[in-house]
Amino acid sequence: MSHSAASFGRPRVRVMDRVGSGLLQVVLVLVALFWLIPTLGLLVVSLRAEQDNNSSGWWTFFSKPAQITFDNYSNLLASGFSSSFWNTILITVPATLLVIGIGAMAAYAFAWIDFPGRDALFLVVVALLVVPVQIALIPIAKLYGALGIFGSVAGVVLFHVAFGLPFAIFLLRNFFTGIPRELMEAARMDGSPEWKIFATIVFPLAKPAIASLGIFQFLWVWNDLLVALVFADTGSQPMTKALQSQMRQFGTNVDILAPGAFLSLIIPLILFFAFQRYFVQGLLAGSVK
Amino acid sequence: MAALPKRQRLGPSPSLAWLFLAPALVLLAAWMIYPVVYSLFRSLHDATGNTFVGLANYGAIFSDSATLITIRNNVIWVVVAPLLVTVLGLIFAVLTERIRWATAFKLVLFMPMAVSLLAAGVIFRLVYEQAPDRGVANAIITTVHDAFAGSQGYPGARPRENDAAPASVENGAVVTKQVVRTGQPALIPLVGLSPDAVAGFAPARPASGDGLTGTVWIDTVRGGGGTVNQIDPEEKGLAGMTVEALQGGAVKATTETAADGTFAFTGLPPGDYQVRLPQSNFTAAFNGLTWLGPTLITPAIIGAYIWVWAGFAMVLIAAGLSAIPREALEAARIDGCTEWQVFRKITVPLLAPVLLVVFVTMIINVLKVFDLVFIIAPGSVQPDANVVALEMWRVSFGGGGDQGLGSALSIFLLVLVLPFMAFNIRRFRRDER
Amino acid sequence: MRRSAVLMIAALALTAACGGEAAAPTPSGSAPAPAAKPLAGTKIEIAAKWTGDEQASFEKVLAAFEAKTGAEVTYASTGEDTGAYLGPRIEGGNPPDVAILPQPGLVQQYAAQNALKPLSQGVLAQIDQNYTPYWKELGSAGGQVYGVLVKAAHKSLIWYRAPAFEDAGAAEATTWDDLIGKTAQTLADAGTPPFSLCGASGWTLTDLFENVYLSSAGPENYDKLAKHEIPWTDPSVTTALEKMAQIFGKPDFVLGGASGALQTDFPTCVTQVYGEKKAAMVIEADFVASSATQSGAVIGEDAKAMPFPKAGDTAPVVLGGDVGVAMKDNAGAMALLEFLASKEGGDIWAKEPGYLSPNRNVSPDNYPSELTKQLAQTIISAGEAVRYDMSDLAPSAFGGTDGKGEWKHLQDFLRNPSDIKGTQEKLEADAAKAFKE
Repeated sequence: MSHSAASFGRPRVRVMDRVGSGLLQVVLVLVALFWLIPTLGLLVVSLRAEQDNNSSGWWTFFSKPAQITFDNYSNLLASGFSSSFWNTILITVPATLLVIGIGAMAAYAFAWIDFPGRDALFLVVVALLVVPVQIALIPIAKLYGALGIFGSVAGVVLFHVAFGLPFAIFLLRNFFTGIPRELMEAARMDGSPEWKIFATIVFPLAKPAIASLGIFQFLWVWNDLLVALVFADTGSQPMTKALQSQMRQFGTNVDILAPGAFLSLIIPLILFFAFQRYFVQGLLAGSVK
Repeated sequence: MAALPKRQRLGPSPSLAWLFLAPALVLLAAWMIYPVVYSLFRSLHDATGNTFVGLANYGAIFSDSATLITIRNNVIWVVVAPLLVTVLGLIFAVLTERIRWATAFKLVLFMPMAVSLLAAGVIFRLVYEQAPDRGVANAIITTVHDAFAGSQGYPGARPRENDAAPASVENGAVVTKQVVRTGQPALIPLVGLSPDAVAGFAPARPASGDGLTGTVWIDTVRGGGGTVNQIDPEEKGLAGMTVEALQGGAVKATTETAADGTFAFTGLPPGDYQVRLPQSNFTAAFNGLTWLGPTLITPAIIGAYIWVWAGFAMVLIAAGLSAIPREALEAARIDGCTEWQVFRKITVPLLAPVLLVVFVTMIINVLKVFDLVFIIAPGSVQPDANVVALEMWRVSFGGGGDQGLGSALSIFLLVLVLPFMAFNIRRFRRDER
Repeated sequence: MRRSAVLMIAALALTAACGGEAAAPTPSGSAPAPAAKPLAGTKIEIAAKWTGDEQASFEKVLAAFEAKTGAEVTYASTGEDTGAYLGPRIEGGNPPDVAILPQPGLVQQYAAQNALKPLSQGVLAQIDQNYTPYWKELGSAGGQVYGVLVKAAHKSLIWYRAPAFEDAGAAEATTWDDLIGKTAQTLADAGTPPFSLCGASGWTLTDLFENVYLSSAGPENYDKLAKHEIPWTDPSVTTALEKMAQIFGKPDFVLGGASGALQTDFPTCVTQVYGEKKAAMVIEADFVASSATQSGAVIGEDAKAMPFPKAGDTAPVVLGGDVGVAMKDNAGAMALLEFLASKEGGDIWAKEPGYLSPNRNVSPDNYPSELTKQLAQTIISAGEAVRYDMSDLAPSAFGGTDGKGEWKHLQDFLRNPSDIKGTQEKLEADAAKAFKE
């Protein structure tokens, strides 16, 4: 797969599009509705009082829009949920930036510096792409306990950085090798030190790849539950863990879960719509994880 | 590996490379390589970590019935989910080529990728709620069902369960125990409807007349009391009940009760009959499916998984599709191939590499599925929906706290992804060439 | 309820903030500087399984502690599975300062892992002063006291909705046979499903079993079964399960049938009785009061409770409780436990619905209803025939884990009440495994 392939769009209207086109439209509209309705349901449920949710379906709001209230949200924020929102940011932003920085350095070495064992080492990175997180839970819990960083934001961040690195290195190396060699050689002829070439030539050129990587890593970390479940404590827990602790068997406490879940997905959604082009490019470049 | 092109010796010294690599290598070594080694070691010890037990933990994986269910579920997941995701992605990718609003469609389908699996789990908890007036899945199903087979009558109404009751249930129908004679009105007292449910009904009255007659009514009074098996003034008749007159097991006539619960068969010859209220009077309302019960839970979660990932498959496949030379397709069409033939003979084979990548990516992903099962399956159903990745977490950090077994499970999981690791490496080496 | 609690916490936070400002060096005049805030600035984390209104009630107690000592207490909800929450934190050497364990069985387990800290002299003094030996013993492991029973539960109750009984002409039952044959049957005939079972919460089924078993098999057998000295395949267990099948096996008796009940957790089952008014009875402990109140019912008027009827010779009284333990040895943790063990803390908590204190010095006048007062009396005296919830004493893998052991097999039994023998065999197999370890 090359990352030159396009993103959304470019609908192709062809001659053959006559028969059953109407039917096709209807089917696809239904499919789209199928994909939209669950999320819409979450939004509406989060905006209705608990009693309303217990007594009638959320779709009754279409006939009775007066049910809408923001009480669930104000109650949720007043209950200390906001601290987990900040924790999510405190975890996600450093984890994303570190992966980009460390990953880019390593990718540069793999792409543009000749060293013995390079190819074999890179294969190890490719192999690590699919290693499941589960393998590290027990050993790292032990390690963090010994280091005294269990339950801290730093511990969660480092875990995410480590598990984000194989993909980061893979994606960026593939991009870096596509940079014209002449550019690099010219710079080296000029006697620029390697860090300067990296910082002034490669890094800026790789912006699209870095954007792709950034948004991926951001989403992974933002949306993670398992790592937080094991390594975060109450003071450092992100939204996902805070919400999970509110889960019940068959819940009636949707008045907490629904607004919480919606708050947790609003920022990823905004990012997604803003950067969907990069998102797709990243996907095409490294669909392996 | 001859893959990487040899570059001119212009670059910096190799030692600089190690400087650039150092942070990444430290992290990878400490957080990924070391854990694999440690887990291997730990998996050979018992829960306390002090006693070497050899392969006993691995033996436990394959002998414990709960773990075997977990493995069975993983097999279902791996067989079903990647295939469905890939096929749906392919269908959507091909179909969206033909609509003007393809961009919007793709965005909608792709959106769940941005949503956390936890949020997706909460979303589908709501979708799968049992009560049709709350869960949208059952709301749709019951609406469709009722459009074809509406529920009528009096679900829940039934005769008293004792020997003195004049009627009893046989195969879902209510049948009089004694023979009913013409000219002697039958009494068919029923219970099981609440006073509120029958509040608006007309009072029951005894039937009269020479023919085969009787009354069907609710034989309870608000607040209790009333004479059992007799029509009290406050008791309500059941209107519109289908009544059959039987003789020798064969239906001789059919009628319906009036508002006061009375019925009368006209034109029946005098004699002994049995009166039957057929089962159709009591059909319970269809309440939808028990999505979150033990039988449907895994399909239900796979449904949520498809919701999350179909967009991913679609986008990848659409990109592959746009790389197919148009001429090949057009040529085939000119040769008189049908759309289906073009799709099967040309599009799919040309797309095969992309489809394979999507498929393999999904398998790897499915093996690690954790959040969706954890969130959607209620605790009491979780053993039926459990998967290896979740079981590993439960065993290691849950009530039991057996990290030896947990380590064995994590190694097992790693072994499961090894073939795909090899696949990735092969593919990578080929691409580099 | 919840909203008012939130408001109250907010208000407390506000006053705390104001206090802080006032304490800032004022150039002139009266320096208030209250001397009695020994823990100002200390942060304490406490973890418990309560969410919703139970959490709100408990946070009022914590707020009082904060106001008194100046400490800053963070409440962490562990979710349903307390063991799964604490496990990794213990493993990582970062447990909360104080944890409230829902089962004494966990005290034994964690004590064996050396995860608990012995209580300070101050806490022990409070325990000796306020608790009978019975309750003290429940918080101990291997002769060492680790826990304070901070909350008790009276589990031998059947709650009912009085208007539903009136409508149907049903009456309270004193024997199991009356409960099934008269009360439940009358309700079912009148079109009200008699029982709302909380089948999704396995512990409610074990509570039901324990009541039936204690009553039908007697206290001696109960003690033996609790210690696994007689197997679960014992005929006495058969009898108890047969009695339970009289409810489980009749679709008319269970709201939503078995499959509906298995999708109903606690406290949804309470809401179904008092909020949605779909069923007449819910078999659970005193703390039903909390959810019933939340659903708009008034305790003692439309929400009433009857003692669990006798299913044999013994009138059963099964108790439960939550144990506060220290997982870190620091002044804050000990002070908080001391407060929770004290009369002062108990008095505050007792004012909330759905709370019973095992503390004998908590004044009964604090309880919001007559019923709670009586129940509290039973609990404190904890006489001869009173037994502790057996599943909570068992190793948690058998008696207290979702999807395992007793919880799971009783749920399966609810699904398939004809399979008594198979249920017993599965229970025995898991019990043997859990008690061996």
